[in-house]
Amino acid sequence: MASKHKMLALYDDFEECFKAIKAIRGGAVKGVTVDDLTVLSPVDHHGIDEALGPRPVNVQRFTLLGALFGVTFGFFFLASAQASFLVQPQGGKPVVPLPTNFVLMYEMLIFFAVWTTVLVFPVLSGLFKKRDSLYSEKLTVDHMGVIVEEVDGHNLDAMKDFFKNNKAVEIREEKI
Amino acid sequence: MSFKNIMENFSNYRKDAEMGGHHDYEHRWAMAIDLDVCTGCNACSTACYAENNLAVVGKEKFEKGQGMHWLRVERYWEDNDTREHPENGAMFLPMMCQQCGAATCEPVCPVAATYHTPDGLNAQVYNRCIGSRYCNNNCPFRVRYFNFWSYYESSWPEPLNMQLNPDLSVRDKGVMEKCTFCIQRIRVAKDLARREERKVIDGEFLTACAQACPTGAIVFGDTMNPESQVSKAWAKHQITRGPHTHTKPKDNPELRGYRIFAELNVDPSVMYLERVRETEV
Amino acid sequence: MSNSPHDKVLDENLKWTQINEDVIRSMQNPRKAYWISVAVCVSMFFCAILAEIYQYRMGMGTAGLNNPHMWDMYLATFVFWIGMSHAGTLLSAILHIIHAQWRKPIYRFAEAMTTFSLLTAGFFPMIHLGRIWNLYWVLPYVSDRGVWPNFRSPLSWDAFAISTYLSASALFLVIGMIPDMAVLRDHTKGWRAKVYGVLALGWRGDDRQWRNFRKTYMLMACFLIPLAVSVHSIVSSDFSMSINPGWHVTTFPPYFVAGALYSGCAAIMTLFVCLRYFFRMEDYMTLNIMEKTTKLTFAIAGVWNYLLFVEFASVWYGHSVYDKELLIAKATGDYAPVFWTMIFCSTVVPFTMAFQKLRRHMPTMFIVSLFLQLGMYTERWMIVAPTLAMSHNPHQWDILWAPVVQWAIVFGSFGWFGLLFLVFVKVFPSVSMYEVKELTLHQKEEFEEERRMREAGMFMPESATAPPLPGDEHKRPEDRVAGRPGMEGA
Repeated sequence: MASKHKMLALYDDFEECFKAIKAIRGGAVKGVTVDDLTVLSPVDHHGIDEALGPRPVNVQRFTLLGALFGVTFGFFFLASAQASFLVQPQGGKPVVPLPTNFVLMYEMLIFFAVWTTVLVFPVLSGLFKKRDSLYSEKLTVDHMGVIVEEVDGHNLDAMKDFFKNNKAVEIREEKI
Repeated sequence: MSFKNIMENFSNYRKDAEMGGHHDYEHRWAMAIDLDVCTGCNACSTACYAENNLAVVGKEKFEKGQGMHWLRVERYWEDNDTREHPENGAMFLPMMCQQCGAATCEPVCPVAATYHTPDGLNAQVYNRCIGSRYCNNNCPFRVRYFNFWSYYESSWPEPLNMQLNPDLSVRDKGVMEKCTFCIQRIRVAKDLARREERKVIDGEFLTACAQACPTGAIVFGDTMNPESQVSKAWAKHQITRGPHTHTKPKDNPELRGYRIFAELNVDPSVMYLERVRETEV
Repeated sequence: MSNSPHDKVLDENLKWTQINEDVIRSMQNPRKAYWISVAVCVSMFFCAILAEIYQYRMGMGTAGLNNPHMWDMYLATFVFWIGMSHAGTLLSAILHIIHAQWRKPIYRFAEAMTTFSLLTAGFFPMIHLGRIWNLYWVLPYVSDRGVWPNFRSPLSWDAFAISTYLSASALFLVIGMIPDMAVLRDHTKGWRAKVYGVLALGWRGDDRQWRNFRKTYMLMACFLIPLAVSVHSIVSSDFSMSINPGWHVTTFPPYFVAGALYSGCAAIMTLFVCLRYFFRMEDYMTLNIMEKTTKLTFAIAGVWNYLLFVEFASVWYGHSVYDKELLIAKATGDYAPVFWTMIFCSTVVPFTMAFQKLRRHMPTMFIVSLFLQLGMYTERWMIVAPTLAMSHNPHQWDILWAPVVQWAIVFGSFGWFGLLFLVFVKVFPSVSMYEVKELTLHQKEEFEEERRMREAGMFMPESATAPPLPGDEHKRPEDRVAGRPGMEGA
């Protein structure tokens, strides 16, 4: 079985980078599809999404779950705390006063929604990993990078040539 | 467990004072104060200091408004009194906690240190108080007193500490306190009545202020007992519990009863009887 | 949208390496002025600590409070700091969801301001407690005695609202900084590289990370806006839920929110000028951005003044004896000087912002922003104190001026805020690098688009032919060796 390689091509011209991605998407290199590509960028460029085509984002679902949990938890937490604290009624108000509880339910909705979003974000975006050895510090200045996650040994040269022809300024590779 | 509790009793927990509330009252202690009889002698206030371990703060702090007089005698004068000695026209108003039925001080306490007892009193739990002082800010009568300093250190120098009432605590700094309608006396009377398997008899005990008043201007009792003196006084002047209504007929000079700030719907438990003015006599 | 030279926020040809270098430079090698400011802040804070120790040991009487005046400057200052925190949210969250590009160079320090002013504000409800050592009783924890805090009290809502707001805005700041942390991780050395390496959470800027980042950031912005509104409404409930004249006001929640944005925008203007001046950020904090911020402040000043006069008018026509007397007493009584200071600072002074020449003159705007904040501080105090001085019961009317302990603590809170902010600007980038880069890209695209359309003869914006405004010329570092450009203004 042929060896597997990982490859990073650096670009200083973003338009060229997008062109290359679109070409790969169009099947320019045999055995490499757009799903093998990861694009690294110093900024959030809308061109990346256009070039790569649709890829899913799921954070908002968890946010919704967090918000729903927050508001129901809020209601039952407050109401059950109040209903087990009967000895101290106040100001002629009911034991479970809804108008004031709504205020805190609202706060809890936001609290849980924000925290779920934040906790889910690193997981869904694949943070907390070691950056791979191909990573270049230019990627946090002004270069974009295209990572091909997996290239078969016999495709390696074709892939390299493709990037060279497509004005990549630097190409790095490693065996995996 | 608590989930079941909420589900089963939810409608009960949603009752507010106007719907009878969640609790049934055992007593509703109240007062009737006849301002026509009040001479402004401050005996009530003094008695209160003695009974309730009120700190004597000294002239300086008192002038700063940091006094601890649970019962104060407020003095008012006419605006355009043309008499030779306008001070003669002073009017007195003994002002203590009105033990409101729908007290505004209660719901604003962040830690529920002030609450409504089944006796209809606003109780202050000193141990629970964290001293946010919101309750006094929300009291239209401004009859709550805050321990701005550790008054006990200087209030009762030896041997005056021997005169402290052992039935209630001495408060340290950072705690709100206020008139309790002499809750320690209420407690004793209720306990005695329970031991003797009877109801509390009207006049069996009095608050310190009512006891000390030389002219008998302060009448104290239970409005749940229709036979009590205070109930009769309330009925005579057509003052009823509950939200304020504007139907009181004003044309009858015999109806002198009113509750201060009743229009704020706080349902105070103290009825004042208007002073009969000299000019009107 | 922003396609005329007039609207150009910053130089779109700024090199991205330059951006990195400029921001990293601003974080390194603190100058003498920096250490002097730190020393001043520390000593101010030290005053507050001394005052608080004294107050803690002796009781709240040291703060000069008395029976009607149970709250005073502490609560006013609390509202002031909470208010200041709202502008960061406005600038970063609201302008983010409406895609206002000009927020990008300045939102980072505004967000930091949000977090730090909340950290400052949080002290005040605590230190004004009589028994601060029992503070944790306001938290809803399970106690075996079955005792709970009172969820009906606006003060306990405050505890919820502030902790939610503080955690949400701090997270918003931290999440928004992740890509910048990666930049710093890659381009600094020593302890910095290590710290930023941890804070970057392994960010490498791949498409999956950016996609999720964009969504997360947007979602948090969407939650922060209603949160900010609710937080200041809840703070206003401390007053409007009570029964007092001058506090029990229906319009208080929107009025407080507008006031919060107002004082917060003024604070942003102050810090804007300071950062621009001290860190030589003229390329990023351009006069055009300042002008937009100022216009925003002016608009908010309008809203706030409207709500202020609505409140007065409704009291005037409402015929409630208590409220009306209080209003008259505010304007004519013992507190009148403070009242008229407030009217001058927050109603009259903002009109300076109506003039473009003044809007682009940094020293003027610096002074104006300080006036606005003074106005907003006195406004908060005018809410708290006169009501307590003149509430329902005339026997308990009293005029109180705060003694030195309160002043020391209030004064020290500015030192604490300044200290946090000074540490922040040297440890974290006060300009968002990745978003400034996005901004240059965005502008390039827009100018390109405009050029194409002009060539096709499709439209000709008027301002495209107008001469550039004074201060529009973006100076490169080599041009600004002499003096302090930007400070001499228009």
